Amino acid sequence: MKFFPFVWRNLLRNKLRSLLTGGAIALAIALVCILRTMPAGFDHFLEQLATNTRISVHNTAGIVYSMPYAYLARVKSVPGVVDAVSWTWFGGAVDKDDGVTFPSFAVDADSIGVVFADLEIAPETLEHFRTHRDGALVGRQTLRQYGWKPGDVVTLSSLVWPLELSFRISGEIPADVDPRFWFQREYFEQALREQGVSFDQAGMIWARVDDPEQVPAVMRQVDAMFRNSEAETTSETEKSFFQNFFGNLEGFVTVIVIVTALVTLCIVFIAANTASMAVRERVRELAVLKAIGFHWKLLFVTLVAEAALLSTVAGGVGAGLSLGLTGMLRAASGWNQQLGPLSGFVVTNALFVQALFLSFFIGILSGVVPSFGASRRSVAATLREVF
Amino acid sequence: MALPLRYPLRSLAHRRLRTGLTVAVVALVVIATTLFLALVSSLRRTLVSTGSPENLIVLRKGSDNDGSSQLPLDAYQALRFFDGIVRNAQGEPLASPELVVQPFFFRPDGGRENVLVRGVEPIALDVHDEVRIVEGRMLVPSQGEAVLGRGVAKRYAGTALGGEMKFGRRTWKVVGILESGGSSFESEVWVDARDLAADAKRPIPYSGMRVKVASGADRDALIRRIGADSRWSLEAKPETEYYAKQAESANTLYGLVVGLAVLAGIGAVFGATNTMYAAVQARVAEIGTLRALGFSRGSVLGAFLIESVAIATLGLVVGVLVAWPLGLAVSDALGGIGFGAATFSTNVITLRVGAFDVAVAAALAAAIGLAGGFAPAWRASHLRPVEALRKG
Repeated sequence: MKFFPFVWRNLLRNKLRSLLTGGAIALAIALVCILRTMPAGFDHFLEQLATNTRISVHNTAGIVYSMPYAYLARVKSVPGVVDAVSWTWFGGAVDKDDGVTFPSFAVDADSIGVVFADLEIAPETLEHFRTHRDGALVGRQTLRQYGWKPGDVVTLSSLVWPLELSFRISGEIPADVDPRFWFQREYFEQALREQGVSFDQAGMIWARVDDPEQVPAVMRQVDAMFRNSEAETTSETEKSFFQNFFGNLEGFVTVIVIVTALVTLCIVFIAANTASMAVRERVRELAVLKAIGFHWKLLFVTLVAEAALLSTVAGGVGAGLSLGLTGMLRAASGWNQQLGPLSGFVVTNALFVQALFLSFFIGILSGVVPSFGASRRSVAATLREVF
Repeated sequence: MALPLRYPLRSLAHRRLRTGLTVAVVALVVIATTLFLALVSSLRRTLVSTGSPENLIVLRKGSDNDGSSQLPLDAYQALRFFDGIVRNAQGEPLASPELVVQPFFFRPDGGRENVLVRGVEPIALDVHDEVRIVEGRMLVPSQGEAVLGRGVAKRYAGTALGGEMKFGRRTWKVVGILESGGSSFESEVWVDARDLAADAKRPIPYSGMRVKVASGADRDALIRRIGADSRWSLEAKPETEYYAKQAESANTLYGLVVGLAVLAGIGAVFGATNTMYAAVQARVAEIGTLRALGFSRGSVLGAFLIESVAIATLGLVVGVLVAWPLGLAVSDALGGIGFGAATFSTNVITLRVGAFDVAVAAALAAAIGLAGGFAPAWRASHLRPVEALRKG
């Protein structure tokens, strides 16, 4: 540790260069952090769903194929199912010109709180939702995007149904990146009846199973129950459902991963360039240090430490910078329908630590080659060359 | 007196490793930027190039895509005979009623995606004149036959011509492959409208219609007439406008990507500045000599700027040469890049680096070269010859 001041002073010798290199590394690390939030947000999203006991039941042909609403009662009656709820896509838009900016569904008010107990919606919010026909549960992200608060009355025009409905917001769905808008199926059905449409279909069904061990058995039983009916079903875990739902983002994620790798490589080159400059300048000094008895290994370590220190400090700054930048991105982009869970832009602690380690290793990597050459050079040859 | 162009260029060759590393930095920024831009612009190009300006799309008022619209049968029967719609040789109006449904299609690896299946009548090929059957033949109505878009044919399981594939509730015979010059019809499957309506249990067999406007006719009058008809609440708009609207969602994405590219670019500017400072530092005596010989400040400044821009240009060339095949390789390996557009269906796009993407990358590289080179070049040109000679 006593060499730390020596390493630090060496960094300060050419302040401009260290600053420029540090700046370049910081920006690149910030970029890596921002890019990583997209696939990482996706993984995080799926992980959250991995352990729960909710299953999705939908028409085998596709999500846009509906099934009879009567299926809900039959799913509920399957042994092991605690409760089940149906979702029907409403396609509500705040402003028709902007189109659908968040997903809205008609749901069964009595069951939604049980099936989605893990969301930890406040009991009084759920109570309000159950007892107010025009109530709505709204994701925190959407509330924030439109500046709505509980008690507000909002109107959505459906792009799918011939309806324009007003809702009173019962409260929020307390998850940071949650754009969903849920309202009562009863209210929806009634509005359709007034238009002369009787609606007895459901888009999909979510069922909660009491015991994780029973999930596969319940899924098999549900699908067997509807085999050879007018609407055959596919049951799957929530994780599998969303993995498939956002499956078409896979190509985009691949490109993000490639770009992230390129930017990382870019940092290595920038750092290596600086390290080689620093070493080249100090050839004479290194020779003198060796001549007065310092071992080459020690010199090698101090040179590598210099590169690693610069890179790590810059990496820390970059990761900090990405916190601010992602905050701005979140504010600017809202829920992006195309990016889905990729647009969370949350730099998690894990990402932050990864960035620090990444920059540390990049520093070491970039310092090793030039430092090794310089510290191994023969003293006699160097001194002859220089003097 | 200006320094010969040879001077900065040969100076570059003098310090190979440093020049090489800086070129590599610029090249990497260029690759990252073009790949990203290409992804978004390929999506946009796919959507924007879809549709013909002579065609109108008729949907229910307020519907922003034909997957969430309905067209009553009587409306279709009446509308197709409106004035201003082209007729073919048999006197039939070029009006194509269509039903859009998005069933699951399965990737060879088991993943599933919502693919746009368009139920059509034989007239559809005359209305969508950009669509051509390139292999096999057009489907025959009510035989359960399907024609696949080129993008679909590459991407999903069981899409061999002449084979059978399952989607929706039934099995379909693949009888043809369609192409449309890279537009989004290539990400669709066409089947018979009534087959599809039966399969999806839609009481109304059509979700919307496309009509071709006669060349001399008043397009806007036709649009107004359809919109004003109080029997049905319908709306007509030019097909190109409809697809451009869908492409708009890609604009935010493009902005995001450009923002990230600028961030990477600033990083590269810092790297280039470093390299150029080192170049100036190493050549102080040389610069002193040049100045003593009578070369002006301006020519020294110019020489160093050229050196820096040359590095950036090399980086640009290397970057574009790598990015172009890399993009194609990536999209080939993935069987086209699937992208859910606003219409809840997958667009299969080919990652192709376009001229505009290269232009943006070139602007970025030029900015890196100039910004990175300016401060060091300024310092070089303002060295005092006497001191510089002594220092060296």
